[in-house]
Amino acid sequence: MNQTSNVQRPTGINREQALNAEVSADGAASNIKYRRSNILWRIVDFGVAGIFIYAGALKMLDPVQFAHDVKNFQILPWPISVALAFYLPWLEILCGVGLVFRLFYRGALCILSALIVVFTLATAAAKLRGLDITCGCFGHASQHWSFPAHLATNLGILAALLALWFSHRLARYVGEALPGTP
Amino acid sequence: MKLSLTRQALVLVALSLLPAVGEAIYFRGKISWQSPIPPSELVSVDQARTWGENVIWVDARPDAEFARDHVPGALSLNEDRWNELLPEFVASWSPGKKVVVYCSAESCDLAREAAERLRKEAQIPDVFVLEGGWEAWLKKNR
Amino acid sequence: MKTHILAFALSITVCLGARAELKFDKTEIELHPTPADKQAVGHFTYQNTGKTPVKFKSVKASCGCTAAQTQKDEVPPGEKGEVTATFNIGDRTGTQVKTVTVETDDHTNPHTVLTLRTIIPQLLEVTPTFVFWKQGDKPDAKPITVKVGKEFTVNNIKVTSSSPDFQTKVEETGKGEFKIDVQPKDTNSNLGTTLTIQPVDSPKLFYATARVTGAPPAPMAPADQKAPAGQAAPVAPTDQKAPVGKTAPSGQTH
Repeated sequence: MNQTSNVQRPTGINREQALNAEVSADGAASNIKYRRSNILWRIVDFGVAGIFIYAGALKMLDPVQFAHDVKNFQILPWPISVALAFYLPWLEILCGVGLVFRLFYRGALCILSALIVVFTLATAAAKLRGLDITCGCFGHASQHWSFPAHLATNLGILAALLALWFSHRLARYVGEALPGTP
Repeated sequence: MKLSLTRQALVLVALSLLPAVGEAIYFRGKISWQSPIPPSELVSVDQARTWGENVIWVDARPDAEFARDHVPGALSLNEDRWNELLPEFVASWSPGKKVVVYCSAESCDLAREAAERLRKEAQIPDVFVLEGGWEAWLKKNR
Repeated sequence: MKTHILAFALSITVCLGARAELKFDKTEIELHPTPADKQAVGHFTYQNTGKTPVKFKSVKASCGCTAAQTQKDEVPPGEKGEVTATFNIGDRTGTQVKTVTVETDDHTNPHTVLTLRTIIPQLLEVTPTFVFWKQGDKPDAKPITVKVGKEFTVNNIKVTSSSPDFQTKVEETGKGEFKIDVQPKDTNSNLGTTLTIQPVDSPKLFYATARVTGAPPAPMAPADQKAPAGQAAPVAPTDQKAPVGKTAPSGQTH
């Protein structure tokens, strides 16, 4: 690789570079370990992304029903429910795609985590107020789920997102420390 | 190109706006931004009045509330006794009539659900929900 | 850092556990009544885990279709009891969610919402539940489709008409699907019938209505009709009689 000057280079390198760096000396063994755990993390990436893309698609196909479901939380006024009904599913889908293709990865993780937290809080609040909400992460399709099931699912997804976040940070940190950076 | 976390998030947030707006335009006829009931299915008290004798009023509230007071000439049709009350409704209906369903106020769901059942199960055309419900009718008529 | 969070969380749970007095075992119950059931009953059991008696101030259901009661008005410490929620299924279908709000004089938990979720099984799905002919139309048979719910098996259905003016014919059109052909004897006058549909191995009844509807032929004083603009659109001569037809259906004025 031709490098002219190191001045404009960003300080860290991403996981791919760490992975693919042909390190001839002591980095060789650790590279294999990273490759294996990287596949595992990619599987988690795909799993979480799949959930959000699927959930987003379900809601995107019937925005009218989703708007009603949001209204039933009785937190937001109707016009905002409608706006969210059109917008949120696409945000979920794009962030899921970002996870899959490693585009805007950290931003996607961050947004999805925030969504899940807000969602769980809203569900808990509705439950406390005794509202009849049939909407979960999966829109009207999850209307038969009970509250504990909703809660458990959301917390599981949040746990996966947090795990991805921390593993990503760890890899970046380690990547910075790897010798032989081009 | 490595963007900061905030920039990445902002890009995603902004990018999602495009298909969202597209979908909002596509669905504009099916959803009203003012009210949870589709614009094509809501009718105001004044509008219903212009239809004159051609309207069948349907009260979707429970029997006790209907008995207390209702729109003169209205038929009771609630989910407790749907099977019993539907034939009576149908006997008053003829093609060309407009059906206006109401419950206590716009926020109660009974009218919307009764209207849905009339449209889906009985396949009656021209079924509307009264904007503002019984409360709105009272304001205009008493 | 981690131990601090854990300690914090623990202390909160301990605090909450100690102070709550009237504790419900479950605040959300899901019921699966059979098609023959007219009611679905949820038993919300509770126990007074505090040191002082708890008095019920009110027990209210979210709709008139659900009756809720407690066995006792006051619960001594340590005692158990139950709030019974009885949901009248009526002619409802699908998943029905009703809530019961319980108010007590328990300071830490004065307000509890109990949720009763009833999944009403759909033994048969009748579409449409109403067919009609206009007066003067050809008295052709009209079909009504009867679909059996996925979790049920129905071998045959029995259809009876309340009026001899209509004839019915039933045939099986597929696995779990039937077709009823309804036909009036003629369409010269306003006729009506209620069809009672019964699966052979169940006492549950389903209904459909068939009618010959429409206006008497001669137009009468069209001038005094406030003809709404929408009404003028159909061009066929029969439709013009429609506004006048209001006098025919008798149920209208009462």
